[in-house]
Amino acid sequence: MVVQIKEREHQDVETEQLMSGCEAIAEAIRLADVDVMAAYPIRPYDGVMQAAAKLIANGKMDVEYIVADGEHSQFEIVKHACAVGSRVFVGSSGVGWFYAFEAIAVTAGLRLPVVAICGNRALDDPGAFGTEHNDSLAVRDLGWLLPWAETAQEAMDLALMAWRVGEDKRVSLPVAIGLDGAFLTHSQQIVKLPTQAAVDKFLPKFDLGDRLLHPDNPITIAPQVDQDWLMEIRMQNDQAMRKAHDVITEAHADFKKLFGRGGDSPFLDEYMTDDAEYVFFGQGTLALPMKVAIRRLRKEGHKVGLVRLKWFRPFPTQEIVKSLSRFKAVGVIDRDYSFGSPYYGGVLYNEVRSALYSLDKRPTIVGFIAGLGGREIEQPMATDIFEKTKAAAGDIKSGDICHWIGVRS
Amino acid sequence: MSDVKETSVTVEVVYRGIFQKTLAQRICRSIVLAARKRGHTGTAFARYGDSPERNGVPAKQFAVVAINDLELEASMAKYEPAVVDVSIAVDDTLVKGVESWAWYGRQPIWKPVRKDGFLLVTSTNTADEVLAQTDTALRPYTLVIVPGGASFAGLWVFKDDHTDYRCLGALAKVLPDWVRLEDVKALIKEQTKDESAVASAQHGYDGATLRPVKAGEGTSGHEVLQFEKPGWTTMRPGIVVDARKPGERNPQYKKYGARTLRPVVNFDTCIKCTMCWLDCPDECFEVTPEGHYEVVYQACIGCGICAQVCPVKDCIVMVDELKFEDNEDKWQFWKKDHDGYNKWFEAKSGVSANPQVRTPPARQEGSGNANPSANPTSASGGDD
Amino acid sequence: MAVETHGTGTLPQIKGVKDVPYDELFVSGHRTCQGCESALVMRHMVKASGPRTIVLGSTGCMYVANTTYYTTPWVVPWMHTQLGASGSAALGTAAGLKVLMRKGKIKDEKINVIAFCGDGGGADMGIGAISATLTHKDYNCLVLLYDNESYANTDIQLSSQTPYGAVTTFSPSGTKKRLMHTRWKKNVPGMLAAGHPESRYIAAGCAAYAVDLMNKIRKALELGGPTFVHTLDPCPKGWDYHPQYSQELGHLAVECGIWPLYEVIDGVCNLTGPTRQIAEGRKKRKPVVEYLKRQGRFAHFADEDVEHFQHEVDKMWTEWLIPGVIPFTIAAKDQTILKIDKKALHEEKTA
Repeated sequence: MVVQIKEREHQDVETEQLMSGCEAIAEAIRLADVDVMAAYPIRPYDGVMQAAAKLIANGKMDVEYIVADGEHSQFEIVKHACAVGSRVFVGSSGVGWFYAFEAIAVTAGLRLPVVAICGNRALDDPGAFGTEHNDSLAVRDLGWLLPWAETAQEAMDLALMAWRVGEDKRVSLPVAIGLDGAFLTHSQQIVKLPTQAAVDKFLPKFDLGDRLLHPDNPITIAPQVDQDWLMEIRMQNDQAMRKAHDVITEAHADFKKLFGRGGDSPFLDEYMTDDAEYVFFGQGTLALPMKVAIRRLRKEGHKVGLVRLKWFRPFPTQEIVKSLSRFKAVGVIDRDYSFGSPYYGGVLYNEVRSALYSLDKRPTIVGFIAGLGGREIEQPMATDIFEKTKAAAGDIKSGDICHWIGVRS
Repeated sequence: MSDVKETSVTVEVVYRGIFQKTLAQRICRSIVLAARKRGHTGTAFARYGDSPERNGVPAKQFAVVAINDLELEASMAKYEPAVVDVSIAVDDTLVKGVESWAWYGRQPIWKPVRKDGFLLVTSTNTADEVLAQTDTALRPYTLVIVPGGASFAGLWVFKDDHTDYRCLGALAKVLPDWVRLEDVKALIKEQTKDESAVASAQHGYDGATLRPVKAGEGTSGHEVLQFEKPGWTTMRPGIVVDARKPGERNPQYKKYGARTLRPVVNFDTCIKCTMCWLDCPDECFEVTPEGHYEVVYQACIGCGICAQVCPVKDCIVMVDELKFEDNEDKWQFWKKDHDGYNKWFEAKSGVSANPQVRTPPARQEGSGNANPSANPTSASGGDD
Repeated sequence: MAVETHGTGTLPQIKGVKDVPYDELFVSGHRTCQGCESALVMRHMVKASGPRTIVLGSTGCMYVANTTYYTTPWVVPWMHTQLGASGSAALGTAAGLKVLMRKGKIKDEKINVIAFCGDGGGADMGIGAISATLTHKDYNCLVLLYDNESYANTDIQLSSQTPYGAVTTFSPSGTKKRLMHTRWKKNVPGMLAAGHPESRYIAAGCAAYAVDLMNKIRKALELGGPTFVHTLDPCPKGWDYHPQYSQELGHLAVECGIWPLYEVIDGVCNLTGPTRQIAEGRKKRKPVVEYLKRQGRFAHFADEDVEHFQHEVDKMWTEWLIPGVIPFTIAAKDQTILKIDKKALHEEKTA
């Protein structure tokens, strides 16, 4: 018998709970009144599916919860549910994410605002459960918006932002939130849960307008094309991604007004950068040990700070240029790899260098690869990163290098 | 060393998809290989946009021959040449226009042919009969009739009736600087060791009749079907196109240009069994107020299923498309002028409208059965 | 457990050819081959379902040919899906509609959901997703597999549905190997019927028997839950015959006993059309050579190849538990299995 939820549970006050990043996302699913979600087991993302299942079984939310036969099916199911007007949620990790790759590509091509989490996990082979960002990053060219969370709170907040921004008609693109495996997916933190009323103010109803697949709106979606048509369609996606920047800015301002948090910038989280000479740059939970290091290094008299990237796509080029051009040297920390890339650097490293290329006065940008496979970034490693960054300041060419940190030889 | 005036020459073969795919391939490859014998270089390629080919839908393959690799570069990495020196249509019904896919429109057969170029057409009709069905020329060209009917086969079993050799012979007549008859014959001898095949090339050369066409000659009776493509600012987001409306047929792709034959209907003998209407994959039949089923010629692609499933002998007869000038539906004609229609039916079909009169069976079109004793060649099948 | 279905009787069985609805929901102007039976299946499919239908079409001829270069022949709403995703497309669409109706976000009404796939996308790549969908009894959707016995759109490569010995571009006949493809056709509808007892309707049909096919589609949509129909579609391009014989080849496939027509409704198996007549002894199976010799894809067959083909078809009829549907044989010494008193097997609880 289907449990009918006639009205969603209303809370009048914000509450605080101790929960993991996955559980926080599950709460976001509840608050957003998601219609369809598809689950398939793989660690570490599937904590969100387990948490969601509990909420459904206990009558806390009404979502069609489908356990798929594989990740490709999983992502196809929600893509099609989205096309008929459902607000959807899905997720995966590592090789599971890759199993869904075809579906991931076409979802962006179709401009369907599927919201997903990628519980960032190292790719096989060998199998490993620890966190790396290559799974999410592999889709970076396809038209997905890609934000990264630092805390369970931010994970939940980014999920709400994802439906808001993705479903906005000016954007209409899918969003995949990066959650570092274990550190964020599983570790429990204090999370403030907003009221339903506040969320209802923030999130309008999902409305596909004249793109809705329904007998009352006769359309054909995605006929086959050739070289005479495809470039125009790609252009539309490019334009939508450009608009996403402004829509994120708008939504961030609204979010701040309604929920009282979100930081000064929608795109960057700056820590002790006002007088910094050297900064670390990265995304996800690696910001936390780096902040610990910054406080320690400051005590020793070093002027060091951190710029944490919140949205990898759309890449906030202007914001990054404006921010990083102030410093003598930037140590870009990639929790990913890109074998054979320029200077054998990680993905963020090469994107930051590209962003800053045309500046007259450029900081030295040094690359670091750290924390792969979930290896903790320990304080000695952070110190090592700092010293190498500082040493490179003043000599642009000394940034043409990527250091692997904390690797046994 | 070359005594040619230009640095390259481009030939296209326009053909019925699948039925003549192997034929077109053999012609294009032979052009390049024959040219090689005198030290030229070349490339042969199919038009990627036609792929995957569909039975009957007009398609194109190309052969470009150049004096050296440098000159050949201008013809590489291309979907299709904008201009050709020679177009070879291996089914004369193609002169009624080429519509290869949606938004393509109906293009005159001579559209890519340069001024004073050549249009070769395989046909059992005369040049004037073929010209009467060809769109009015915008610029002068020479129409060349290569004697012989259209040669149709399938993907796996090729019909080796020497059509390719005759076409190569005729080509040698109009491009003697690029395709020398002696090179063609030597190539055929090498490949087949068959003197009759070599003789067919000579036959094509000797039998090809040239008819110069001036601007303004031809017919203006065919439908003008052209489209302007929209751009990214007006295309609907999300890869969305409007659905067809109920009762509509696709205006962006009419597809009647895929026909080699069209069905004519004897409304007197029709028993209104519905089978033609029911079994037509292209819903080309409309039911008339009296319960007959008439063909919508704007949509019919000439597959012949209706003629096969019709239970009444000679009620639906497939007739050479070149015998018709218009695409008008015919039931009203039958209603208003019964005897006139039946005379028209008889004239077109060669079959009596009177069921009491026995007529010998019409010539069978198409590849027909796959007879293992027909000489299967190393038909490549599939795509290049 | 009751399945939430929406059978409203809006799709009654069609009595005969004169009863077939006139409305065309898949119209002319699609870039299919002359004589394409898969296109005819599309036409009949939506004729049977009517306009309150959403169609999901996976990659293949019925995607690429029909919508070639930014056009459409579809009157009903239609969306592309991926090669192996028709099961998921059906499921996702049905689930989305169901929850939106339950939550009052869209009007609660019967909407047919049909996802189609070719034999490549359905029997090969997408069989897992179709199988999964057929276990989801709470969603109303039909998966239709149109089988032209090859990956036709990529210019004819063999699939698990390609008949024994047939030539394709992945199985040409050459001087060293006369037959490169010696695998027998996988029995998809039978396998799905046997393995998914909660799917209320699974059928095999053919556009040469149009009314039978349309009625099967209507039955599937009326019964509700996840359902499956598999059609055999003669393909002039891949099978190499003149397009005018498409209907005739469909008839021959059934009359030779190669493609049995049947349906399984709530676990009850019915043979239909000439297949039923053959099973009841009212009609004899034609020799398979009548079918094989009409097609260029078998032009290279030697006598022993025809004999093997005939032998396998004979086995299907003479040895299978249900001819053409379920293949198991029971050993002579085990025949009691067929006569078990099933009720007597249960041990009664003692007080």
